[in-house]
Amino acid sequence: MVYVELKNVEKSFDDLEVLKGISLTVNEGEVVSIIGPSGSGKSTLLRLATLLEPWQKGELYYMGEPAVTMQNGYSVYEKPAQLKEIKKDFGLVFQNFNLFPHKTVLQNVSEAPIHVQKREKDVVRKEAMELLDKMGLSDKADYYPSQLSGGQQQRVAIARALALNPKVLYFDEPTSALDPELTGEVLKVIKALAEQKMTMVIVTHEMEFARNISDRIIFMDKGVVAASGTPEEVFNSDNTRMKEFLGKLSHA
Amino acid sequence: MKKFGKRLLCGLLTVACAATLLTGCGEKKKSTFTVGFDAEYPPYGYMDENGEYTGFDLELAEEVCKLQGWDLVKQPIAWDSKDNELNSGSIDCIWNGFTINGRENDYTWSVPYVDNSQVIVVNDKSGIKDFAGLAGKTVGVQAASAALEVLEGDQKDLTSTFGKLQEFGDYNTAFVELEAGSVDAIAMDIGVAQYQIESRGGGYSILDEHLNAEQYGVGFKLGNEELRNKVNTSLKELKKNGKFDELAEKYGLSDMTCLSE
Amino acid sequence: MSFPVMLSELSEGMLKSVGIFVLTLIFSLPLGLVVAFGRMSKNKIVSGIIGFLISILRGTPLMLQLLVVYFFPYYLFGWSIGGWRFPAIIVGFSINYAAYFAEIYRSGIEAIPKGQHEAAQILGYTKVQTFFRIILPQVIKIILPAITNEIITLVKDTSLAFSLSYMEMFTIAKQIAAANTTFMPFVVSAVFYYVFNFVVAFVMRRMEKRMAYY
Repeated sequence: MVYVELKNVEKSFDDLEVLKGISLTVNEGEVVSIIGPSGSGKSTLLRLATLLEPWQKGELYYMGEPAVTMQNGYSVYEKPAQLKEIKKDFGLVFQNFNLFPHKTVLQNVSEAPIHVQKREKDVVRKEAMELLDKMGLSDKADYYPSQLSGGQQQRVAIARALALNPKVLYFDEPTSALDPELTGEVLKVIKALAEQKMTMVIVTHEMEFARNISDRIIFMDKGVVAASGTPEEVFNSDNTRMKEFLGKLSHA
Repeated sequence: MKKFGKRLLCGLLTVACAATLLTGCGEKKKSTFTVGFDAEYPPYGYMDENGEYTGFDLELAEEVCKLQGWDLVKQPIAWDSKDNELNSGSIDCIWNGFTINGRENDYTWSVPYVDNSQVIVVNDKSGIKDFAGLAGKTVGVQAASAALEVLEGDQKDLTSTFGKLQEFGDYNTAFVELEAGSVDAIAMDIGVAQYQIESRGGGYSILDEHLNAEQYGVGFKLGNEELRNKVNTSLKELKKNGKFDELAEKYGLSDMTCLSE
Repeated sequence: MSFPVMLSELSEGMLKSVGIFVLTLIFSLPLGLVVAFGRMSKNKIVSGIIGFLISILRGTPLMLQLLVVYFFPYYLFGWSIGGWRFPAIIVGFSINYAAYFAEIYRSGIEAIPKGQHEAAQILGYTKVQTFFRIILPQVIKIILPAITNEIITLVKDTSLAFSLSYMEMFTIAKQIAAANTTFMPFVVSAVFYYVFNFVVAFVMRRMEKRMAYY
């Protein structure tokens, strides 16, 4: 089943064209990594897919249901009620975690299910503790985010996203704000999710990681998809931009 | 702690509401007579030993109310706002050692009842004996007072010889400044001057030359002759039965009254 | 006037000052939040008007505003203003302080990173939930010191009620001083204000400590 579908997405900031007609399909259980140089539009694409950024041109579907469609050459949103339903389908893990600093780890994970989904407090807390346990953070439940390392905070953020049981989970450069030694613990968690067949779209600079866990890789450059396919296809492609990009990385 | 806070809040609210109700009741009813006065103006209107508002004018008003069957409401006012208070109907009259001269056309006046002059008070140590001695000196005067009007009006030639004309808010501060030497003289009503000098135990003098001769009356809103006439009738009645002179005696103003039967 | 009488008169005035203080806070703190939203409105006309009003309220003396609030029903509409004195004081103080609080709220709200709003949005919080559950608790911590400053100023500003002939403590102190030709009531009222502010500062410090949990 097709979980996510973006069609012909175009986006400009003032005069700067960031996305020049991008389409992307994500299937159930698929792990898709989006790579590419800075400014290629990766994060913007993710922010459009999660409805954080206003749409200009293009269409968006979740589970076959429309969220954004084209009318008279411009994007039009579905009714708020429909959008509200659709927003339940996905979660997002931010580069900077964006945990709520005034809430404990357990509250960060459990409050959205309690207040947004209106689920039973005790059940939610129990599930939240199980999630934290999986993240190796069960002893940190009553800590505040500021008392945790970056890697720990990002794992809490992943638990927070998972607590709402999304069908698709987006990651926006989840390790870019972390020290190299903390990166591993976060990647391990994402890898574990991939093994459980969680549908994920990951914007990342971790090439080896992307290569290892992805079913498909999208290489974006200057607002277009320059190469896509299985990891082997993309990493071994003849695309000159891709080669340049990989060359720069290996020399960095 | 939380509960205590809530209770405290409730208590305060109750007090505040009660205060609103009380003032609300007192201010506008047919049988009340609301006198606006500056409570920092002894001996005409001030706070007495027991924290009650009293003074020559207020006791006089009390007697008028007795004759008319009114309830007296004593409303202390900020002097600068006296016209607003009167015009808006918050008070029925200004009764407060209120100088008629120069304001003849601004209010509907009762009969004059006190003959008052504006005078200059100096510290005995200053050696100032007459108006000529004020040249180059700093002279204090209450803002928006009759004394200020005289100094800026009829006596402006004298005023121009002063080093500086210093306006102040209340007489207490002015006398402290006089004592401290930061002002050399104060212009004010003779009645107030006598009261101040006496209660401070001397050390100050009133210059023999007076700035003007003027009279006190009760000021009503322009055109309110009906109320004015009632008060006039009662004032004359009080003069006739001796009550007026009795009060003047009590406040040491006997030499200054000018009310005739 | 004997000292005990003076104390009891001043205490009575103090109660009235405290009344102004408490009622002003009760009305101006929430009102300030509403004004802050108006100020930050995406509607240029609304934010423009509110911005203009705030600049007037902050740019003119509170005493003048009190006079306007008290007397304008009479001068504009010819209404009797009997009984309006105390309400006018509370209205005048509340509006004035709401303007100051609004700017403090705004500074606090704008200091919250955009990511907090986005995280809440992704988690499905409504705008109202986002504000009251996520943003406001963080804002309060940020703005508490600035609020404390305003509140302490308010304690002292209560004396401006004298301009509407309201017998709060300082007005009474001036009257006693005038009748008794003494400075003593001012000394006593200084002590009263200081103690009042000491209590206020203590309470606010406790609140700041309670907010320091993260």
